Amino acid sequence: MKYLLPLLVLLPLLGCLDDDDQLDPLRDVQFTLNYRATYGGDPLGIQRETYGYPTGDSLKVLLFQYYVSDLELLPADGDDAVRLAEIDLIRWMSAAEDATQQRTYLVPPGDYRGLRFGLGVKPSLNARDPSEFAANYVLNEAEFWGPSTRYVFAKIEANAMLEDDGRFDTGLSYHMGSDALYRTVSLEQPFTVGGNETPTLTLTADVLRALSGNGQTFDITSPDKQTVHGGNQEVATGIWNRLAGQFTLSVE
Amino acid sequence: MCRWWTILPLLCLACVEESAAPADFAAILYPAGNPSTAAGVELGERLFFDPILSADSTVSCASCHRPERAFADGTAVSLGLGGLAGTRNTPGLTNVGYFHHPLFWDGRADNLEAQAGHPVGTPHEMGGTWPEAVARLAASDTYGALFARAFGSPDIDSSRVGHALAQYQRTLVSRNSKYDRVRRGEATYTALEALGHALFFDFGDDPEGAYAGLPTAECAHCHTPPHFTNQRYENNGLDEAMDLQTFPDPGRGAVTGIPYDNGKFRNPGLRNVALTAPYMHDGRFATLEEVVDHYNSGGRYAENRSANVHPLHLDARQKAALVAFLHTLTDTSFVVSFSTKSDRLIEGAGARVQ
Repeated sequence: MKYLLPLLVLLPLLGCLDDDDQLDPLRDVQFTLNYRATYGGDPLGIQRETYGYPTGDSLKVLLFQYYVSDLELLPADGDDAVRLAEIDLIRWMSAAEDATQQRTYLVPPGDYRGLRFGLGVKPSLNARDPSEFAANYVLNEAEFWGPSTRYVFAKIEANAMLEDDGRFDTGLSYHMGSDALYRTVSLEQPFTVGGNETPTLTLTADVLRALSGNGQTFDITSPDKQTVHGGNQEVATGIWNRLAGQFTLSVE
Repeated sequence: MCRWWTILPLLCLACVEESAAPADFAAILYPAGNPSTAAGVELGERLFFDPILSADSTVSCASCHRPERAFADGTAVSLGLGGLAGTRNTPGLTNVGYFHHPLFWDGRADNLEAQAGHPVGTPHEMGGTWPEAVARLAASDTYGALFARAFGSPDIDSSRVGHALAQYQRTLVSRNSKYDRVRRGEATYTALEALGHALFFDFGDDPEGAYAGLPTAECAHCHTPPHFTNQRYENNGLDEAMDLQTFPDPGRGAVTGIPYDNGKFRNPGLRNVALTAPYMHDGRFATLEEVVDHYNSGGRYAENRSANVHPLHLDARQKAALVAFLHTLTDTSFVVSFSTKSDRLIEGAGARVQ
């Protein structure tokens, strides 16, 4: 009943819109953001490509995904950030998928100095139950830790060949996510929307650099480092920190 | 033009009391082109239990999707017209209306409306054709009126049949298993069930938790609550394949044409799983114990086997605990409710359901 009064006030106005009424003409410009996945700089090919790992082993990636929260463009003049999306799930899980996925947004024309997002599900959403959202919403993609816990922020899964026998028979599975791991990623790269040509931005994430980068790596031949779903915090936190720190932004 | 009429339904909505309890599941996505109505559900229910759709009027949807078995059939592979054996195990239909990703073990139907179109013309299912099935419906004394009530005119076609069947299947909702009641604080697990719950959801991963150090059974990565499926496709290690082209049943790969999808099948929902034996796409495992043994072994090799399928090192008690937990997903009230209704419908239709 508590919504009755405001609805009584607002609905006559809503109900009397003419069919040909329009919102204000959109001055916003269509803007494309590419999400690109690579492995050691090469386009990521789920299952179909074989990749090397610093231990000398090789692997095939089965799944790479991460949530982004509060994806925003940063105006060059210091104005408030322009929100592109509150939450999105970026996922590669099929051999048929291209290494680059595209999202389009409408944004105000202007000069921007870069892009910012939260890696993971922001705490305010991470506290909410999936049943609160539509079944086909990105927070209902069955990426839950369990029935009473919340979202898995990122996953990397692969099958590794640890002996030179042609068998990719060692599963590697890294699932990460908690409020404590949530990170804000800011990438500076000036660009202008509008004018003669609006550029396309490409946000690249490299799986190898998440697994092994910045002089850090871990031994995938060690059984306790092959399946990490929260149990081996050292491995999980290491992967997460490297993932958060390796994004690059390019303007084309 | 003034849209005064838009106000009425919204006023009604505004007057609905807010529920204090959160919803059990995200709401069913009712397709805009097939909104559920009481008449549509009634028609779909009648069609579901009526063998009139099959070539010789002996096989109904319910011949394989039996309510007392949570809408599975208890056989390794489905048996259709004249007892012809199919190629795949009949999946249960518990909460199928909540699934919004493609259906069938191989995902060849985008939704329930499309799914309903397949069995009529499949030789080892209903063994006929849609024109023949529609003609039988049109010749009946009752269906014209039922279609008119459901869709506004007595016209009958395969699309309307599919729409009605989909509407009925969206009513197959289960939310009263022991698992649900424990979640709501209305019941408690036995010690064995609680251990199984902890194994299923990998509580051993929490170094600070009560189950720290417990093996993890890795179940919920694919069998994710609340419906215990993530609606995706995996190779769960049933068949060894050094070459991805050698799976006895390519499964998802036959639909996508992608060899890397060979040997992958849809992760089934586990609600009422104790009632839907035998298990797997080909019904190769007779019991839940065999299923747990399979996963405990780590499965057989193929390069596209799920990375989460690996040897689990569960002992006998832990395996028994997993089975005990899986039994808590049984919703007796769901089964009894739909079985009771089906008895009446089958009697009315004169169907032979075996």
